[in-house]
Amino acid sequence: MNGCEDKVASIERWLDGELSGAESESLRVHMVACAGCSEARRRLEKLQSTLTGVLSSEAQRVDFMPFWRAVQLRINEKRPWYQDALDWMRGVLPASRLAWVVPAVIALLLAGVSLESYWRGGRNAFATVESIDAYGRNVALLREYDTKTTVIWLYQDQEGENEAAEETAPSGPAF
Amino acid sequence: MELTDRELVQRCQAGEMSAFQELVSRYHQKVYMVIFGLLRNREDALEVAQETFFRAYRKISGFQGGSSFYTWIYRIAVNLSIDAQRRQKRNPLDFRESMDDLLESQGEAARDPFADLHDKELREKLTSAINDLTPEHKAVIVLRTIEGLSYKDIGEILGCSEGTVMSRLHYARKKLQDKLSAFL
Amino acid sequence: MKLLKKPPLRVLLFSLLAMLAVAVTGTAQTQPQNIEVRIGAILASNQNDEFDARLKGLEKQLRVLKYRSYRLLTDKSENIPRNGNKVFEIPGGRSLMVTPQEFQDNRIALQVRLTDGKKPLLDTTVRIANKGNFILGGPPHEGGVLVLSISATVQ
Repeated sequence: MNGCEDKVASIERWLDGELSGAESESLRVHMVACAGCSEARRRLEKLQSTLTGVLSSEAQRVDFMPFWRAVQLRINEKRPWYQDALDWMRGVLPASRLAWVVPAVIALLLAGVSLESYWRGGRNAFATVESIDAYGRNVALLREYDTKTTVIWLYQDQEGENEAAEETAPSGPAF
Repeated sequence: MELTDRELVQRCQAGEMSAFQELVSRYHQKVYMVIFGLLRNREDALEVAQETFFRAYRKISGFQGGSSFYTWIYRIAVNLSIDAQRRQKRNPLDFRESMDDLLESQGEAARDPFADLHDKELREKLTSAINDLTPEHKAVIVLRTIEGLSYKDIGEILGCSEGTVMSRLHYARKKLQDKLSAFL
Repeated sequence: MKLLKKPPLRVLLFSLLAMLAVAVTGTAQTQPQNIEVRIGAILASNQNDEFDARLKGLEKQLRVLKYRSYRLLTDKSENIPRNGNKVFEIPGGRSLMVTPQEFQDNRIALQVRLTDGKKPLLDTTVRIANKGNFILGGPPHEGGVLVLSISATVQ
């Protein structure tokens, strides 16, 4: 192309009507004098006109009234309630994004399940006494809410099981 | 006096179906052209074109006029076409009337303006070559066939810059010329 | 319309499998192989006002008992396998047998038996939060009372 490779992009823009008046005129003058650029212009024009011809001739086959009736039919058709949601989803979630949404939802669900059982565990921070047998001795159960403490207190046998201990030890905590 | 697109849209938004009909009348063939260029199948292109206008009707109350009506409608058309293209890829065995068959029949139809055999072969090769382009490159080259669409309009439709439109067009044209050099 | 209606089958199938996996994970909880049980034996009394610095972590809980002095006597920790039990020697000739039961909702059930020699003093089953504890106290010891902090951690 005799060193006019860089002109091809400009020729394309010229054909597309994207050059300013001055640029356009300058290129037009150049193409008259340059065989290579003139040939590039011819090939591009042929390419464009061929494609336009194919598509235009096909489009001309589409008559308006049958087309409009089909569109009206869609407008008047009662769509199932989920169709709008599906259409919205398809717009917001193309297949490529959906591929990431699915594992993200799974991860969120798993995190939710873990958090929920952790929270349930945390909420029931108190120890729960499910059964107790002190073999006839007195036993007290205390729950202190500030510290979430559960205390099982076994009282000494009143009958004097540990007489020595009775003299020195306090009978029980002062709670 | 002919109403502008903006005036027709406003009438649609006020509930005038006849205004919407006028818009469909103005753009149905151009919209179909774009979709057909992307899908290469008449049945699918018609379906997608009808769906395009149906979606436009549903969304028209939310149309703010930030873009022109035609870039808006082409954007809907291109997005639906891309979705349909993906489905086409997943169902390659379905019988479809292809553009190649269509061109064959066009060659026999009285309305075919290109009687020359060489040109007919060029058209067949061209449509096949276009189909080898990526969806993004196919979209710019097809949209460029629509008269009156600037790089800026195409960029708005495809959600990219004018520079991207230019470079994609340049690439697509180069690829097509490389494949069709014997015919051009 | 058929062209525009078919959702990808693979995505639907994967989503269904994923839901199933989540449901199974949510309902069933893996039973741990080992539970680490820690027993702290503490002497609580009113003989002085000393607080053993080693009991800093339990201070708030111990203060509930209103004694003036707390001293750590022994601190033992053992891994008890599932379906197993462990006997901890407690000051004063006592012993504490701990048998971990089930683990559910992040809580461990512990069956605890306190004995004095061969004489059982207390049998109790207590459900505590993982890494949590409860206090068992009362037996007299060295002029005060014995207080046990019993905690469990899933391994």
